[in-house]
Parts: sequence; C-alpha cells; structure tokens
Amino acid sequence: MAALDAEVREGVDRETVETVQAMAGKYKHGWETDIEMEFAPKGLNEDIVRLISEKNGEPEWMLAWRLEAYQRWVKMEEPRWAMLNYPEIDYQDQFYYAKPKSMAEKPKSLDEVDPKLLATYEKLGIPLKEQMILAGVEGAENAPAEGRKVAVDAVFDSVSLGTTFKDELAKAGVIFCSISEAIREHPELVKKYLGSVVPQSDNFFATLNSAVFSDGSFVYIPEGVRCPMELSTYFRINAENTGQFERTLIIADKGAYVSYLEGCTAPQRDTNQLHAAVVEIVALDDAEVKYSTVQNWYPGDENGKGGIYNFVTKRADCRGDRSKVMWTQVETGSAITWKYPSCILRGDDSQGEFYSIAIANNMQQADTGTKMIHLGKNTRSRIVSKGISAGKAQNTYRGLVTMHPKAKNSRNYTQCDSLLIGDQCGAHTVPYIEVKNNSSRVEHEATTSKVDEDQLFYCRSRGMDEEEAVALVVNGFCKEVLQALPMEFAMEAQSLVAISLEGSVG
Amino acid sequence: MLEIKNLHVKLEEEDKQILKGVNLTVEAGKVHAIMGPNGSGKSTLSYVLSGREGYEVTEGSATLEGEELLEMEPEERAAAGLFLAFQYPVEIPGVGNMTFLRTAVNAQRKARGEEEMSAAEFLKVVREKAKALKIDADMLKRPVNMGFSGGEKKRNEILQMAMLEPKMCILDETDSGLDVDAMKLVSEGVNALRDEGRAFLVITHYQRLLDHITPDVVHIMAGGRIVKTGGPELALEVERNGYADIMSEAV
Amino acid sequence: MMARAQAKQDALSARIAALALPEGLRPARDAALARLSGMGLPLRREEYWIYTDPARLNAAEPPALAAEGEADFFAALDRARIVFTDGAFDAAASDDLAQAGVEIETLSDAASRDIHWVRDFYGSLETQGQTPVARPFAALNTAFAADGVVIRVTAEATRPVELVYRSTGTVSDPILHHCVKVEGGAALTLLEVGFAGARYNTTLEVDVADGGRFNHIRTQGRAHERVANTHLFARVGAEAVFKSFTLSANGILTRNEAVIELAGAAGVAHIAGAAIGEAGFHHDDTVFITHGAPGCESRQVYKKVLKNGAVGVFQGKILVRQVAQKTDGYQISQSLLLDDDSQFLAKPELEIYADDVKCSHGSTSGAIDETGLFYLRSRGVPEAEARVLLVLAFLAEALQEIEDETIAEEIRSRLESWLL
Repeated sequence: MAALDAEVREGVDRETVETVQAMAGKYKHGWETDIEMEFAPKGLNEDIVRLISEKNGEPEWMLAWRLEAYQRWVKMEEPRWAMLNYPEIDYQDQFYYAKPKSMAEKPKSLDEVDPKLLATYEKLGIPLKEQMILAGVEGAENAPAEGRKVAVDAVFDSVSLGTTFKDELAKAGVIFCSISEAIREHPELVKKYLGSVVPQSDNFFATLNSAVFSDGSFVYIPEGVRCPMELSTYFRINAENTGQFERTLIIADKGAYVSYLEGCTAPQRDTNQLHAAVVEIVALDDAEVKYSTVQNWYPGDENGKGGIYNFVTKRADCRGDRSKVMWTQVETGSAITWKYPSCILRGDDSQGEFYSIAIANNMQQADTGTKMIHLGKNTRSRIVSKGISAGKAQNTYRGLVTMHPKAKNSRNYTQCDSLLIGDQCGAHTVPYIEVKNNSSRVEHEATTSKVDEDQLFYCRSRGMDEEEAVALVVNGFCKEVLQALPMEFAMEAQSLVAISLEGSVG
Repeated sequence: MLEIKNLHVKLEEEDKQILKGVNLTVEAGKVHAIMGPNGSGKSTLSYVLSGREGYEVTEGSATLEGEELLEMEPEERAAAGLFLAFQYPVEIPGVGNMTFLRTAVNAQRKARGEEEMSAAEFLKVVREKAKALKIDADMLKRPVNMGFSGGEKKRNEILQMAMLEPKMCILDETDSGLDVDAMKLVSEGVNALRDEGRAFLVITHYQRLLDHITPDVVHIMAGGRIVKTGGPELALEVERNGYADIMSEAV
Repeated sequence: MMARAQAKQDALSARIAALALPEGLRPARDAALARLSGMGLPLRREEYWIYTDPARLNAAEPPALAAEGEADFFAALDRARIVFTDGAFDAAASDDLAQAGVEIETLSDAASRDIHWVRDFYGSLETQGQTPVARPFAALNTAFAADGVVIRVTAEATRPVELVYRSTGTVSDPILHHCVKVEGGAALTLLEVGFAGARYNTTLEVDVADGGRFNHIRTQGRAHERVANTHLFARVGAEAVFKSFTLSANGILTRNEAVIELAGAAGVAHIAGAAIGEAGFHHDDTVFITHGAPGCESRQVYKKVLKNGAVGVFQGKILVRQVAQKTDGYQISQSLLLDDDSQFLAKPELEIYADDVKCSHGSTSGAIDETGLFYLRSRGVPEAEARVLLVLAFLAEALQEIEDETIAEEIRSRLESWLL
C-alpha cells in the first residue's frame, strides 16, 4: 500500500506540471473581492492603536501592551541591512485596520458569514465547510477521510472570519481560534506567552506588529495531545492601501504535536502593500510543531510594479527538553521578502529544522533564511535552503548558526544551494557561523550554479518543451524541501514553482 | 524513414568542420549500423539529429518521414518520432525516474494530439516493460540516472525507448561501458522493439554489439563522411582488420 | 547615528594625533588622509567588525612586547633579503638591492624621484579596495607609511625576494607599504617573514599584468602579544596567476585583509592561510575576491587550530560580476577547536550576478577526530604525537596551496615543532 502511495505521489508531480502548463502563466490569485469595507482612518498614531484594540474588544492590559510597543516603535529605525532595494515606506500612508462591513457583528459561526467572503475562500480552494478537504488534490478522495481533515482559520484583511472544526478540536482539548478571541477568552495563556518568543522590542517590524496587529491565529495543544487534524490559517489581503499585520501564537504543551499550515495570497495591484506579521511558537518538553508556509502574496508585475512588501518575524522557542520545531517554507510571492524563521534551541536535546524554497523571478527580491540558536546540550539543527533566481530578481540566503558555550555536543548541518536561470539575476549567500564550544560540530555547504543545460536537453529530447523541462529540473532541485511539506502543500508548492518560473526561459 | 543528404556540420564555437557531407537513407523496418574510429563524427551525427546545441549545420538536410528535422526544437523531433539513446545518459537530481517517464510520455502524446495515459495504465505498462529489462522498482523510484551503474543507465535508456515507442531510434555507443550480461539485456530490449514500422541507427565503435543486434546495413564513417557501405559482413571485416584498411581503400 | 559618526571621528583623531605625513608621494598621501577622514575608524559591532574588536588597532599606543627569538626562516633558500628593523629599512643587514635580480628600491628612494611609476601606483589599488566596504586602516597606511619596497619585475625572477621584519624595541608601531608590479609574462616569489613591531600595519599592493605570476608566502612571527593589521590588494590580469599563503602562530590580534580583483579573462587567484594559536589569540582573515572577467578561477582555503580560548574569525566573500561567466569559485574555512573555550566565527559569503558559474563554499568547525586518534594510538603512536599528526592533517589542504616544495616543507616542519 505504501509503495502504491509513493507511486501515486510520483505521478502527481506530473499532473501538477501539466496543470501549470495549462495556466496562462499569470498570478492566479490576483482577483479581488468586491465588498464594502470599514476602515480606520489612514496613518498610524496612538489613537489608531486604541481603535484597533477597541474594535477587538480587548482588555486594558492588551491595550497597554500595544501602546508600549507603539512608543518603542516611533523611536526605532527601519533596518536596511538586507540586500533589498525598495523606496522608503510611508507608514502614514496606510490603513492599519480594514474589516468587511458585514462582519460588524461577529458571526456566531461560519454559516452566518457573508456569502461573498465565503465565495472568496472557495475560489482560492480553501475549504471552510467541514466536510470538505483541501481542493486540488487528485486521489485525495481515496484517502481515509479522518486523516485528511484540515481545520482552517480564515483571515480576511484585518479580521478572522472564523475557524472550522472548532467543536471537534475542543473535544481533544485543542484551542484553535483567532488571536482576538484568545485575548478575550484565554487571557491567562496569551499573557503568559505573547511576546515571550519575539519580544516587543525585537525589531522594527515586530514592534510595529505588536502595536497594530489586528488578528491572527491562536493555537494551544494541551499536554500529551496529538492534534487530531492539521491546522491552517489562510491569509487574504483584499483591501487597497491596507497593511496586514497578523499575529500567530502557537503553544505546544508537554508531549503535544501539531502540524500547522499557512497560506497567503493577495489581489494584483499597482501599488505596494505592506505585510508585517509575527509568528511565535512555544514548544515545551517533548512537544513537536511543524509549521509550513506557502507564501504566494502578489509578487508585482514583470516590471516590478506593485506587489507585497513582506516583512515577517517568525521564531520558535524550543523551551522544553527534546522539543522539536520544523519550519518549511515555499516563498514564491511578494515583491520584497524579509523573513528569517528561527529556532531558539533552549531545551536539552531539542531540535530545529528549516527547509526553504525561495523563488524570485522578474523584479522580485528575497532576503530570507533562518537563525538556529543552540543554547541547550545535544541540540540539533538542520538547514536546507534552495534558492532560485530568474528574470532580474535578487535572491539572498541569510542565516545564523550559533553554538553557545553551554550547547555541548550539538550539531548543525546547513546546505544552501542556489540556482540561476538567466544572466540578469543574482544569487547571494550570507551565512553567519558562530561556534563557541568544541564538542559541537557545525557544517555549512553552499553551491551556486546555473540550471544544467544537459539536463534540459535530455528532457527535451524526450519530448518535453523548455518550460516543462525547467519546471521538472527545478522541482528536482527542490525535492528535499518539497518532501518536507505536508502532501497537500507539496502539490500546491510544486505547481507554484512552475508558475513562478514561467517566462524565465527562452 | 530517415533521409540525410549532404550533411555538413561544424562546431558553433570554433571553426572546426566535423561532418563533411553525410548521405544516408534508413528505411522503415531496417537496422543500420554506423561504425567508425574515434573522432569520425559518429556521435556528432546523433547529436545533430536530436537537436543538441553547439553545432551549426552549414549545408545539407535531414528528414524524418519527409519532415525537415533540423529546423525543429528537440521536443518536436521527439514528438515526430525520433529517439536518441544517449552515450552518456544525464543524471537529474530530485526528479523521480517514473515522473520523468510519465512527463515525457504524456508530453509526446499531447504534442501529437493523443489522449494522455492514466496513472494506472501508465504504472501497468511501465512495470511490464521494466521487468523485461530487469529494472526493479527501486530503480524506477530513484532520481533519473542518479547513482545508476553504466549498465543500469543504458537499460534505462532502452526503457524510455520502449515507453515512448519512437519510429526512428538512434543508439549512440549504447554498448560502451557494458559487460556481457548487460549487453545481452540491452540487445534483447532493442530486438523486442524491432518491427516493420520502426527503424534503427546503431552507432558503435566495436562489432560486438552487432552480434546481438544484427544489422541490415553497415556503414563505415571516417573523417566526417560515410566511406563504405555494405552488409553485416562489413562489420566482421572491421573486427578482423581494423579501420585502417578500409580507410586507405576508401581514399 | 550622529553620535556614532562622531565617535568614529574621535577615534581617528586620537589614533593619528602623534603621526605626521611623511615627505614624498604627497598627493597620494593627502588623498588617503582625506579618504580616512571621511571614514573615521571602525567601532565595535560594525557589520564589518562584528567578530573582531578594533579597539587594539584604534588605541593610541601599541602593546608592550617581548622579543621573539625565532630562528630565521627559509635559510636553505637562495633569496634576496631586504631587512626592515623596527619599521625602517636596514641597508646594512640587507642584501645589495642592485643584485636582487629585479628592479627594487625602497619606497622612500622611489618617492624622491621626479619620475617614477610608483607615483601613480601608490595607493591606487587600496583606493579601489575601499568599495563596497571601507577599510580605514589601509587608508591610514597609505597616508602614513614610513617606508616599504617598490618592486618591478619584467622577467622571471631568478630567486625569491624576502622581506625580513625585525623588532628590537619592546614598543613600536611601524607602518610599511610595499608596491609590486609584475609585468606581462614575468614572475616573482615574494616572502614576508617575521613581525615588524609590537603593532604593525602593512599594506602590499600587487599588480600582476596579463600572463604574469606572483607567489606570496608570509609568516607572521610567533610573539604572543603582537598586534598585526595587514592588507593585501591585488589586481590580476588575463591569464595571470596570483597565489598567497600566510602562516600565523600566536598574536593577541591579527587581522589580515585581502582584496583581490580578477580583472582579466582566465586569471587565477588562490589565497590560503594556516593559523594556530592559544589563549588570548585572536586571528581574523577577511578576504574579498571579485571576479570581474570571464573564465577565472579563485580559491580561498583557510584553516585554524584553536586552543585555550583562542578565537578564529573568517570573513570571506566571492563576488561574481555579470560579465564573469564561466567563473569557478571555491572557498573553504575550517577550524579545529582543541578545547571548549575556543571559538570560531565565520561569515563566508557568495554574491553572484552571472549565471554560468560554479561556486561553492564550505565551512566546518569541530573537535579533533577521536576515532582517528584512537586508530593512531592503537597502531602505537603516542597520544601527543597522534594529536600533532591529526592537526597537521587538518592543516594539509591549506599547506598544499604552497607551490614550492622547499618552502612547504619548511613550513610543515616549523608547524610540527611548534605543535609538539
């Protein structure tokens, strides 16, 4: 049976490549939903922070926390050390809160949500009905239904529309809700963990997020619980000139396990939009969290017009002994990507993994990588980064591996490969390696090369056209990372790889 | 089937003429062999026919069933029914052998306006053909040619040929790097594909492959031209006397 | 931000308060001083100094130092010796410059001539090397260098030229600047031996014209308290070959910077270093290789053996410009940590704008291979010796970059004697 699964899966690459071939080669989520919105006034000041807090019905302590962050933020400077080139961002020329009018009264369940909003997610292939499975997976219907359930939190601009499978999850003791709800319903957990991994003052964008985050997801998996289904959040930016600032907090208590998926898309617009999210993960003793992202924000057009500016702080604190966090990301979207999902390996024997595919085509710029901070004994980390540059794009891997003096007998292995398609793009590798004890072993390897002409010719001599050949070879180059993704995401990611590279050859 | 007329080819990057007027007609249902010493232009001929970059055709033509090959993209040649079994099959990391095969089969079907093969049907056919070539499930799962031995790579080429069912098969030094057993397997694979509608051009340095794949016609190539043509006995003559005699005779 | 800029200027004022611009080459020195004033001196935690604290280089006074007493290097080699004692040319101790087999003069002599190529050359590669990263101590060197040698090679030099540095005083702060021009098809081996002073700052500018060959072997002395700050700027022409190897042992602070530009097609640049040190040792190799032409090859091979709280730093970069198709770039930085207090800090970078390239880098850090150690001991090799063998094996890849067998052998045997 297992062998057959493997073969079916093998077969699916093929389907994907084909689907991709059939598409026009344009960003496929670039449409917008025509819906009446309620905006906070443009710009950022204390009043806006108060307004966001009030809209979310937050307690006083939360407002105080936000205001403190805001006060810090006004004194901070935007970091410019990344290999990213973009015009100055006018933080006063943005909306910081946008909510569909129909959401004025919080719907009690997803059934009551505005059909236009539900249709939006349906069009994106995101199941908001509990009997549905993630769309677009051939053969998925043959799989046992139990194993295929995915609970979804749908975030539309500044608000969460609702989450699915709440009751079933509650039976298992799992809390999965919007962060705004968690602040109201589970203040003790939020107070304890919010900002404990990414402190308020961590960096310019995280501090901004701390002040103005409007919604996001909250997950708590109690001690010893293996989350009965995969959890996912689907972020959709829809409104114009609106920044999205979501905040995600995931807590895996002792011995808990959860696999979490994140997807992101946005309409095609000529102006740039700001996205500054924070994700915090806490893993206690023996807990395991898998966090997978397929980031497909609108990348801008081939001349670099429009696209999302994506400044994201993601960090996991492997606080407990033997805890494990695995980040997998497929970064194909955004005009600018600034993102370094990291692990603080604090617990003894804790493990961190980072698997990344970053594709930059046309005028996209990506500066992404990870930090693995080894503090505990016998900690392990593994980094596999595959960067693909095409068009006039610039793609940088930036990473830090630190072995602290007390992190005895720890290991890191890093493999960073870059592939260049065409001679107008750039591929850069900037690793920082800090080893402060001798019982730990750190290995870093990096290669840069162009897409292999012999491989392309071989494929073409067997009948594939050039784009198909490139998609196949690049998917092969990324295989190790694709395999780290949950199956549904692997399919989407493979097709994205192909779509993202269309027009890069010939 | 394949008709090559007065083909002149030079290297794109340097001024070096490699083929200097090759004339060759391969009829449907026949097996032609081209033999010749190293550097005679045998492999260049196979690469030019399959559309590899780096060569410039300065004169002449090559048609497959009347269609001009030399102006087609490599994938169009494949769709038209041309297949080259590479002397050095290329390794493609991360791409499963099965995925590769299925992508190729369906790409060609699509190009020809045919229905695609379903996953189940494909699996069935592949397994059957792989079995005949003693290609096990593991080899099918591994990335294309990665970590394959010389013999495995050549068997894999023949498997691709069997799956793609081309009309015109060119085997470029398929015997190189094969031991006796592997050569037998490969030859059986090729012989199984021989039929009325299909032609073969077997390029080889040594006669031994031709013990297993009996040619209808043997050509000797030297200095970028075909210098002698004859029956299977010509191959035996080369085996006995080497190329020197024939070449001096041809001059 | 303003405060930081001011602090950098203040550091500079303090550092150069007691220095005076020497006569000769004034336009170049004035320009260098202007560059330097624009930069100020580096402060702690600047990106380019994240792993090395520049305080000792900024300090107004050099450290006090005990004399070294190391036997002469390369005694078995037929070479022309040019000696600098406490940073000044020592004619009495040097071989006759006229007999060196190449055109060679002191910088001060060359500077005193009305017409000399060095007038245009002096500081030119240093100036180019100031972008994209400012190197204030190199500009400081160009402005204030007291002396140095000026060498022009027009044919294959018959024997190596050796620059010998001697230090007699316990406190000295010499600044030396050498200029080397290897003409088309010519070849030279340049040896640099010893430490020029308690804190020394040397700059070597080398232009290797098309088809030329330049070999550089440097040993930096073993004085534990010394502070060294060196810069090597090289421009490598078409089909030219540049090779440099540095051996460092001890030194409270060593920062060796190399800036190499492969400016002509099919040029070759190899740079390597082997460093061993303990307690208080801080060794920093900072390398920047630019592939500015197609078909070039570069190699960076750095190995460090660290003990008792020693710190090894490697910052290496390969920049491949868009024209530099068919680039072959390789970089490896490795450290062997012999105990738990030592540290290895590395930032190996690739910045690539051409697609038809083959570039790779590797960096590893770890302890001595216990299995290897056990194996050797099981074959009867005493533990101490086995450790030395393994350390030498670890350093081997760097030592292999030395072309001349005699030199390589001497360096190997010195290392062995120091390790035992």
